[in-house]
Amino acid sequence: MPLHILGPMVVIGIIGIAVLLHLMGRTAPRTLTNETDALAAWKRAFPNSVPVSALLSNDRKAALVTTHNNTGLVWCFGDDTVARGIKRAAVRETSKGLSFDMPDFAAPHVDVVLREPNLSTWKTLVNDA
Amino acid sequence: MTDQLSYPDVTNLAVPFFIAAILIELLWISIKGRGGRYETKDAVTSLVMGAGSVVSGILLGFIAWGFFMVLWKATPLDLGSSWWIIALCFVLDDLRYYWVHRFGHRIRWVWAAHVNHHSSQHYNLTTALRQTWTGTFTFMMIVRAPLILLGFHPAIVLFCGGLNLIYQFWIHTEAIGKMPRWFEAIMNTPSHHRVHHGRNPRYLDCNYAGVFIIWDKMFGTFVPELDRERVDYGLVHNLGTFNPLRVAFHEWLAIFKDMARPGLTLRERLLYAVAPPGWSHDGKRVNAEKMKAAHLKQHPEDKGTPGFS
Repeated sequence: MPLHILGPMVVIGIIGIAVLLHLMGRTAPRTLTNETDALAAWKRAFPNSVPVSALLSNDRKAALVTTHNNTGLVWCFGDDTVARGIKRAAVRETSKGLSFDMPDFAAPHVDVVLREPNLSTWKTLVNDA
Repeated sequence: MTDQLSYPDVTNLAVPFFIAAILIELLWISIKGRGGRYETKDAVTSLVMGAGSVVSGILLGFIAWGFFMVLWKATPLDLGSSWWIIALCFVLDDLRYYWVHRFGHRIRWVWAAHVNHHSSQHYNLTTALRQTWTGTFTFMMIVRAPLILLGFHPAIVLFCGGLNLIYQFWIHTEAIGKMPRWFEAIMNTPSHHRVHHGRNPRYLDCNYAGVFIIWDKMFGTFVPELDRERVDYGLVHNLGTFNPLRVAFHEWLAIFKDMARPGLTLRERLLYAVAPPGWSHDGKRVNAEKMKAAHLKQHPEDKGTPGFS
């Protein structure tokens, strides 16, 4: 197929499917329903780890998970979840909550929406991690 | 010798069909409320990876083609281009695909190119298009060398490879349960390939087939989809990015970082590139074998069942 036909077809196809999916409400619909959901998401990522507690963010898009020997972050990623330990993460406060820069090229950055008093609790736990 | 053979680039010709099939699958899922999941960023990432793969093929395809033409000039054999030679080539190229795919899961250097295809936590027709940009750098074109040396013209081999990829498109769906028993016995199907995309310990490193599932049955890597264990799609450590550049290159970067670690022997540096994914010099990382063993420790009743034999 000539490039001058293939190129526009691919671009229009991708944009069309993206717009359609967005209009259908299929953009990042996942939230963590409760602590149990957050713990299950952690356990899915680290089956051999035993999560003890989870603290949800205010928008329920992330949770700080404590295990027997680790502290980690579970966050919603599209319609799914991802989890990482935060020992080596650079954490800073932002106008919306906390920002995590991970030393991981494949999961580089997470913004977590937090408001007081939740924010203070998170900060304490993150500092203790 | 048939030097001047030309076949259509079937993968590119199939693009309108790919787009139409994706829309039909999405409509089906929306109407039925089952048969798979779609998410905007995930789907767009997959589609951009597919487009990038086409661009990569245009830019780097000359390397493989040049290599094949050198072999073609060297071989005294020419099997011609009759329909049955093309059919035979299709079957043998599928055997080639099986081994390249198996290497792609068991050799980290090859996995670095293939990993992006498994990086979606979804399993729909867009996942089929989440293809590599870096396949040329795995040098797996060498596995096609025997076909050329046996007398299959490079154009026929690439034509068959294109048909193989098109076949594999439709099996990336949850909208189809199981095909008729005879078909499931011979052909790769959505059910067999769902298993291949699983991150469950049971489903790791199996069902490498492209078109014919018989290769997995012959070489002992077949695992059936079990009703009692739903497939969990994605990677053992799922990606936290939709950035196509990060998706395409993250494992390559990880390899080079590992190889550059201080204090390693030359052998250890090499093994970081060619050992199976999850290998580490201190044995601290988790690989497929360890995951299966850990699962069996928690679920000894699964020993001897598919995927744990």
